[in-house]
Order: sequence, then C-alpha cells, then structure tokens
Amino acid sequence: MKPKVAFFSFTSCEGCQLMFLNLEDELLNLLGAVEIVKFREAMKEVTSDEYDVAFIEGSITTHSDIERIKSIREKTKILVAFGACATIGGINAIKNFQPLEDVRKYVYGERWDFYDTVPTMQVDQVVKVDAAIHGCPVSKKEMLEVITSLLLGKTPNIPDYPVCVECKLAENVCVFDKGMMCLGPVTRAGCGALCPSYGNKCIGCRGLITDPNTNAQKDLLEEKGLSVAEVLKEFRMFDGLSEVSK
Amino acid sequence: MLPKIIKKDDLRAFVEALLAENVVVAPTKKGIKYAFAEVDSFDEVALDYNITMLSPRKYFYPQNETVLKFKLGEKPSAEAVVESAPKIIFGMHPCDVAATWLLDVVFAEDPADPNYLSKRKKAVIIGMNCAKPCDEFSFCKDMKSYNATAGFDLMLTDLGDKYFVEVGTEAGEALLVAGAQASEASADDLKALQEWQNGKEKSFVNRIPYDTKFLPEILGASDDSLVWEAIARKCLSCGSCNTTCPTCYCFTVRDEVASNLVDGERKRIWDSCQLDEFAEVAGGENFRKARSARLRHRFNRKGKWLLERYGKSGCVGCGRCDRNCLVKISSVEVYTQLAGERAK
Ligand code: SF4
Ligand code: SF4
Ligand code: SF4
Ligand code: SF4
Ligand code: SF4
Repeated sequence: MKPKVAFFSFTSCEGCQLMFLNLEDELLNLLGAVEIVKFREAMKEVTSDEYDVAFIEGSITTHSDIERIKSIREKTKILVAFGACATIGGINAIKNFQPLEDVRKYVYGERWDFYDTVPTMQVDQVVKVDAAIHGCPVSKKEMLEVITSLLLGKTPNIPDYPVCVECKLAENVCVFDKGMMCLGPVTRAGCGALCPSYGNKCIGCRGLITDPNTNAQKDLLEEKGLSVAEVLKEFRMFDGLSEVSK
Repeated sequence: MLPKIIKKDDLRAFVEALLAENVVVAPTKKGIKYAFAEVDSFDEVALDYNITMLSPRKYFYPQNETVLKFKLGEKPSAEAVVESAPKIIFGMHPCDVAATWLLDVVFAEDPADPNYLSKRKKAVIIGMNCAKPCDEFSFCKDMKSYNATAGFDLMLTDLGDKYFVEVGTEAGEALLVAGAQASEASADDLKALQEWQNGKEKSFVNRIPYDTKFLPEILGASDDSLVWEAIARKCLSCGSCNTTCPTCYCFTVRDEVASNLVDGERKRIWDSCQLDEFAEVAGGENFRKARSARLRHRFNRKGKWLLERYGKSGCVGCGRCDRNCLVKISSVEVYTQLAGERAK
C-alpha cells in the first residue's frame, strides 16, 4: 500500500504548497510512491480520513485552528510542519507584538468582533511535530530530502548550523563588507545562502539554529549602528516567537 | 633547477600560451573582493590582488564533492567516484602555496585520499610572490610562510621590468620553455632579487611578539586559560574562520537520494569545528559542546597539533580567519594574550 499523504493549510499564503507543486519532474516520481488524499490547491475532493503523513502549512491563529490541528494529529501517523509559518510562526507572529483587538479591527474592519483570533503559534506549540521543513518558502531540495527520507525510513538531514557556512562555501562577498546587516550568523542554513548569493541580507526566514549566540549577534548589529529597537525589529520579522524577540 | 627571467611585457604572451593549451584558474575580481576562478583571457587575471576569499584548496578538495554513487532497491550497488582534470593555478601567493604543501602531506597520509591526490597531481602551481602584506590581518611573517620555499612549479617575483622565475619542478620548466621567451637569470638579476627581498623584509612586520616556534609550548600550557571563555562570549560559531582557512580539511558526509528512491550520491562537504554539531556523535553526545572548548580546539590545531603531527604548521598566517570574523576574534591577539598570561 502506498503511504497516504495529505496537505493542510492554516494561516499562511499557501506559497509552500505551491513550492510542492513546483517540484515538477520529481513530482511525478513522488506521485508514484505515495497517494495524495488531500491537497486543497490541486484537487477538489478529500479521499480519506486517515493519513500516514500530514504536511501542515501555516500557523495556528484561531481557536478553531487549535481544534482542527488536534484532530489532524489524531488521524495521522507522521506530522510534518511545512514552511516557516508552521515551524517558527514566521511573519504571522508579528501580530503578537500588538494588542489583538487592534489587529482584528485592522484586518476585519467594522465586523471585527465576529472574527476569533489567538496569539500566533507555531504548530509544535499545540501538537507534536515529527519533522520540520524550514523556510519562507520551503526549498525544493529540503522538501525532497524530507519526503525521500520519510519514504526510506531514515532521519532527514536538516542543517543546524548558520547560513554563513553555506555563504562562505559559495564564496560570496559578505554583505557586512558592503555596509549591510545580516542575520546569517544565527539563522539555520539549508537554503544555500540564497539571499547573500544575490547580494541581499539574510532576514532569517529559516529560523534560528538550536544554539545561536544571539547576544553576540545583537552586539554585532548594534556595533554596526542599529539601535536596540531596530535590532529587535530585524529579529521579529521571522523569529517573533523566539526568546530573542522578547 | 636554475632560475629564469621573463620580461614584464612577455607575461601576457606566457599566460595566453598557457590558456591556449590548458584550463587556467587565477585570481579574479569578485565584487569588492577577489576569488580564484577559471579565466579565458589574461585581462581577467587580477595580478595585483591582495588575497582571495577562499584559497585554491577548493580545486583539490571542493566544497561539495560526490565521492560515491549508489543505487538502492532490488539490486543495490555502489561505485566510488574520483574525478580530476588537469589545471594550471596561476598567481598563488606564498601563504596559499604553503597551505597546499601542508594539505598534500595530510591527504597523502595513510589511508591516502584519492579524490584530493588525483586532482592535486594534475595541477601545476604558478606562484606570484608578495611585495607587501595583503592588509592589516596578514601574519604570514610570524608563521614563516611569506616566502615560498617549496610546493610550487614556478614562482614569479615582480622585479619591475621583469619577472624573476624560480623553477620548482620539471613540469614548471617545460611550461616556461614552451610558453615564454625565458632567459637564464644573470648575476645582476640575482642581485636585484636580493635587493627586492631586502625591501620585502622591511615591509612585512611581525605581529606576534615572540617567535612562533614557542606556540606549541604556549598552547600546551593554556588549556585552562580564561582567554577561551572570553572569546567564546562573542563567538557566533559561524564557522567562517574554518570555511575560509586554506589549511582546514574537515568534512561531513551526506547521502542524498533522488525522488525515484533508487539513485543516490554520497557527498563530502566542508565542515567546521566551530559548529555545534561538529563533535556530536551517535546517541546525541557532544564532546565539545561549549563554544570555549571548540575555540580552544581550533587554536590548538592551528598552532600546535598539526605541527607536531605533520612537521608543518597548521597555520600559514594568511589572516583569513581574522579577516572574516564578524566579531573580531583575532588569532594574533589570542596568541599574544596566551603568552602574556603565562608571563605573569
Ligand atoms: S553575508 Fe550574511 S550569511 Fe554571508 S557570511 Fe556575511 S553574515 Fe554570514
Ligand atoms: S538567506 Fe536567510 S532569508 Fe534568505 S532564504 Fe536563506 S534563511 Fe531565508
Ligand atoms: S598573507 Fe602574506 S603571503 Fe599571503 S597573500 Fe598576504 S602577504 Fe602574501
Ligand atoms: S569566525 Fe569568529 S565568530 Fe565565527 S566561529 Fe570563527 S571565531 Fe567564532
Ligand atoms: S588559521 Fe587563519 S591565518 Fe592561519 S591559515 Fe587558517 S585562516 Fe589563515
């Protein structure tokens, strides 16, 4: 029997599901190895209520999200947090730094009190997560690494070292040398240092490594001229749920 | 082998002759920095470069190299991959030549590394001598690598209107004879080289306040030094001091399987002892968890252990570690402070 795979979307832009559809050549191979039973962006009907692997895209931001993710957890053997919204809260966590009432008024206008909201949570704050695919959006390479590893029953290789490693291996000019700031030294690699390779700073979309020296990173940014508030703003873009943004 | 002379104006013709027959890599401009890259014309060569971001070790020991191809499934199989192609590395500075010389010894040690050695054997190194230190970070004079004594096929020194060419190997000599209008160096040329060397001795300064032959002894007595804790507080564990170091040779191994779940490749990828996971072993135990222990390990490798094991310094003083450290952890300062602590 082919493993049953389902994709669920929570608060997100659904860009990570799109990345999955963009796998193109590999997609055909994978479709031979698994049966996709739910995928909102690509198919209409739901074909099963039990899953071997559930990919969860998006953050948990409402009471009904909490109930829904709990019920998915009960129905799936493996649950994969899929993309930054799911793994670290990502952009959605920016609202946690404002009063929730203001946020609801801003988003829903007059009928704001009709709409429920809770502070943004990453998926593993609510249910157990078995594997994470990082990034905003997820990278093709890492998606394949996780999916093939799950199918082969091996632990996926997810880097737990900073973006600087991949950046140096690519022999990029460090953006600090060009007078810019970068979160690469504390951010989890795996994207191939995508942004610095194109001359931009890393804004931390893959989240922090397990043991970042965030104090040293904050000192570094301050030494380069950022105020304490500006340093926090850099981190809150993606790492809003982490200690570093408090 | 006797030294030769080529006229300044003939360098272009020499490089063009090399280009006609060979793959040539040379220092090139990359943004506001320099990088070794394959060149198609003499004009792409940045002759006056100070230092490249990575050393040419990437040509013998690539950042990410396939070492095995395998198949899973019904009929599993595996085949070692050893790829190499002839190359001329033009314009290597003395520190990088010295670093390559060390790597040659390391990778030839039993069990010899076919991936490195096959690439290295097919490479010709044409060095370019430095008249002045690349910037304030170099400490090649302290590490005694600012003059290349061996490890090159040819070594060029710019004497103004001509290049003095030291010939290290027959392969180098053959290239020179085939591609350049080279003449024998005269007594006057040797004198000019000596004068140039005198000037060089003045422009390079020692930055470590003692002879680095004492480094192993000093490091040996510094296991409990407070310096390690002090620099650990600022260290980002970003690994840049290793990934840019021309003498680092640690790698990690990853197996990647294609989406057909049959074809796979084993990759070896540059690693760094400053990274959290580096010393983690099966079962999750990490025997160098503390940043301070990782830093102490790095400095001991560079200043003590490699020298004791291979008879060549593990550091050539190129300064890339210090130059690339965003939080200004400096090898020169560390070595200076360790000795200072002991003197107290
Ligand atoms: S550009 Fe960013 S990621 Fe790259 S080396 Fe510099 S700090 Fe690290
Ligand atoms: S460089 Fe940073 S911001 Fe860019 S993709 Fe990688 S982790 Fe995300
Ligand atoms: S470190 Fe010394 S030998 Fe190396 S490039 Fe700079 S000046 Fe030349
Ligand atoms: S480059 Fe500096 S901050 Fe990065 S690991 Fe090395 S010593 Fe630490
Ligand atoms: S330890 Fe630093 S100075 Fe020494 S060879 Fe490595 S990068 Fe160059």
